[in-house]
Amino acid sequence: MALKVYCWLLVLYPGSYRDEFGEEITSVFRDARSALPPALAAKIRFYRREFCGLLSGTLRAHLDRLFGPVIPFRRFSMQRQFRFPRFTVFLMCVILAGLVLAIHKAQNVVQMKESLPPATATAWGPMLWGLLFALALILAAVAAAAAWGVLFALRRTGMHRLDGMQTWAEHDWRGNTKPENSLFRP
Amino acid sequence: MLVLLSLAEQPRHGYSILKDVESMSGGRVLLSTGTLYGALRRLLDEAWIERVEENDSPRDRRTYRLTSRGRKNLQMEIARMRQLTKLAALRMARKEA
Repeated sequence: MALKVYCWLLVLYPGSYRDEFGEEITSVFRDARSALPPALAAKIRFYRREFCGLLSGTLRAHLDRLFGPVIPFRRFSMQRQFRFPRFTVFLMCVILAGLVLAIHKAQNVVQMKESLPPATATAWGPMLWGLLFALALILAAVAAAAAWGVLFALRRTGMHRLDGMQTWAEHDWRGNTKPENSLFRP
Repeated sequence: MLVLLSLAEQPRHGYSILKDVESMSGGRVLLSTGTLYGALRRLLDEAWIERVEENDSPRDRRTYRLTSRGRKNLQMEIARMRQLTKLAALRMARKEA
């Protein structure tokens, strides 16, 4: 079952990436899964790591495809794993719940307007449109909060600091040109 | 770094790299398959590693090895870390003195 879901999720990768690595990724996942200890906690940890790794990998692959290697993820990809701050997860759940609620309320308003007699609908029309406008404003605020949440999460990961680090020397170790922003010049 | 170190000794396939990284780090670094292939792709793009072309190797079990460029960069990184360790030891000794 987990293998099927995992294979299904591979469609999230860009086509070229999937063609190049898809079979290998599936095979390695199958091998790693078969070597799992029987303890439930170990299995949960394994699936959590694999599915989070797959989702962050798809995101990175798409960003690479769209913007090329200029996106500063070089050292980020060498990190142990993406650590998403817990508070941000909570915040994003609240934002999602707000979004779903706003959509639900908007649907209710539209249904209510349709079920009113024509004369009443004409009289109450401007008020209903006002209500819909207010809901649209709430939706926009929620979308802005979601965007802020994503930026906040990226900030909390410390990725912007990793971007400034250059520890891989491009040139000769003994005295030749080093990158200007190298933190560890001899 | 750990992926490069894993390939420094011998060519390996994906699952072997995962297990070797885990064993090298004493179980502290557990790479997911997605993360591993993201790193391998970057290293392939940078020509730090390459695929070993074997006729009998199945498509889902391809082997990777370090290129000369990758080995050179790994050596430079090791030298950098050695220097950093030396500096840290010096500073700690000076602090304790």
